[in-house]
Amino acid sequence: MTTSMNEYIPRFLDVKRKVQETGDTYTIVLDETSKAEPGQFFMLSVPGAGEAPISVASGTGRELEFTIRSVGKVTSAIRERDRIGVRGPYGNAWPYDKYENILAIAGGIGIPPVRSLIERMIDKGRGEQLEVLYGARTPEDIVYYSLIDSWSSNMRMRLTVDRGNTTWKGNVGFVTSLIGKSESPRNSAVFIIGPPLMMKNAVAEALKSGFREDRIFLSLERRMECGIGVCGHCNIGHYYVCESGPIFPYSSVKQEPELFL
Amino acid sequence: MNYILSKDEMQHLFSRISRRYEVYGAVERDGEVVFERVNDFGIVSQKKSRYAPKEFLIERGENVLATVPQERKAVFGIKSCDLKGFYIMDKQILGKDPFYTARRENTLFVNYVCNEPCNGGFCTTFGGPVLSDFQIQVLKDQEGYHVMVSKEFDHYFRDFRRDESRAFEEITEKFMREMKPLPVEGIESRMKWDSKLWKEFSSKCISCGACNYSCPTCYCFDIYDEGEERKREWDSCILSGFTRTSAGNVRPDLSDRLRQRFYHKFSYYKKAKGEYLCTGCNRCVDDCPVSIDIKEVITHDYLNE
Repeated sequence: MTTSMNEYIPRFLDVKRKVQETGDTYTIVLDETSKAEPGQFFMLSVPGAGEAPISVASGTGRELEFTIRSVGKVTSAIRERDRIGVRGPYGNAWPYDKYENILAIAGGIGIPPVRSLIERMIDKGRGEQLEVLYGARTPEDIVYYSLIDSWSSNMRMRLTVDRGNTTWKGNVGFVTSLIGKSESPRNSAVFIIGPPLMMKNAVAEALKSGFREDRIFLSLERRMECGIGVCGHCNIGHYYVCESGPIFPYSSVKQEPELFL
Repeated sequence: MNYILSKDEMQHLFSRISRRYEVYGAVERDGEVVFERVNDFGIVSQKKSRYAPKEFLIERGENVLATVPQERKAVFGIKSCDLKGFYIMDKQILGKDPFYTARRENTLFVNYVCNEPCNGGFCTTFGGPVLSDFQIQVLKDQEGYHVMVSKEFDHYFRDFRRDESRAFEEITEKFMREMKPLPVEGIESRMKWDSKLWKEFSSKCISCGACNYSCPTCYCFDIYDEGEERKREWDSCILSGFTRTSAGNVRPDLSDRLRQRFYHKFSYYKKAKGEYLCTGCNRCVDDCPVSIDIKEVITHDYLNE
């Protein structure tokens, strides 16, 4: 790094489109081609409101997209703007290139980095090597509803909701209940992202279903403020999630008592 | 290379350095030692400053959207324990944070080696007051100023007398005798996650964060927007908001956060960077209003508690 460069200064990109996905979740499409790999994240910002770490939702080479749940000051402010501050991509990617078959398991708002993976693998002609299990709380909470149909001709995807409604005809139950029924070969790499308890149960279920411990990968969420390994907030044991993650081999973090908190 | 300088020669050196750098020094003000601009070597104090001069590299609060500063500064009178903090932090943040990196590369530190062990200090646990990483290192005794110089700054010293004495070795020997090193080796695997020590500390701690602010190795900061500025401010891992996210908080209890502080210092940093994140300065103990002593983390009998 040359000392005059300031990594904290974002570039500003126009928001080309916004899509309201669910009651509290929206997608923004930015005026840039994504150079990010699935699993990586960006620091998005609105001047005066602040910055937030958000995973890339689109595949490499497509329009740069983010799907965001508005829960705080920054994530609500982003929805209101036509121009967004962006720095990144930061962090590592799902290691989809190292394994032949991939089983990706997403809970709740963990789905955007998996959508990025889906698009990337379809674009590389590897859709058939990917199976996705996605669980949302209710049918109303399912993100990318319209995209899911278009993917299904290229890859396997199973959906479930924790609680159904009168019109829901699909699976009801936690996403972990689908793992045992997975058609993926048991030497597949297993990518898991979602709330801490869901990830913990998904790991246990994957192991029980015969998947290999050394091929399980977790995407971890921690408070991140800098994205570049210096602010000190996002550690899991001796790793900073922004710097060594956000994706970790399960075997490298399984001893950490704070893993599923 | 080692040199021996008289007070006049030190003044001369000071002037040479002043031509290339804005010079700061430790000076006594109203009974406290603080750092400020100095024009005269004579007023630089040998005493330990009230606060570690961490602000030379990480300001307490600043706008990260501002231009990265390029001023060249020289700092006389930083104590070895405080300077060592920067060398340890370098391993995590140098080359990544643009502000820290620019300041680090543009600042010359002239560290002063103590003559006597300080009350409560335990720098010998981490090698003692004579540093192996330094730029210009000074030890004053009755013979004058013994100066140890790194290659990069040797050109300032060409016409000064070489020092053949064992002054630096002798001060290390004296410290090792009078300030017994604590048994820190292996602490990274000895410490216990569910030790009663964390609860004991949390029953006293008032979450003031003074330990973090006084520490020469604590580098964590918070970033938030304030008007047009994106402000970076020193943060404290003892405060409950430190790890709060929309998904919850991985360290809801004060005992969780105290454990994090000590695991960072004596386990995580050692595993990640090969060094303990502590210099034995004792500032966190001196500034703690409820007398929590970091030395206890090192000496505690985890096996038989």
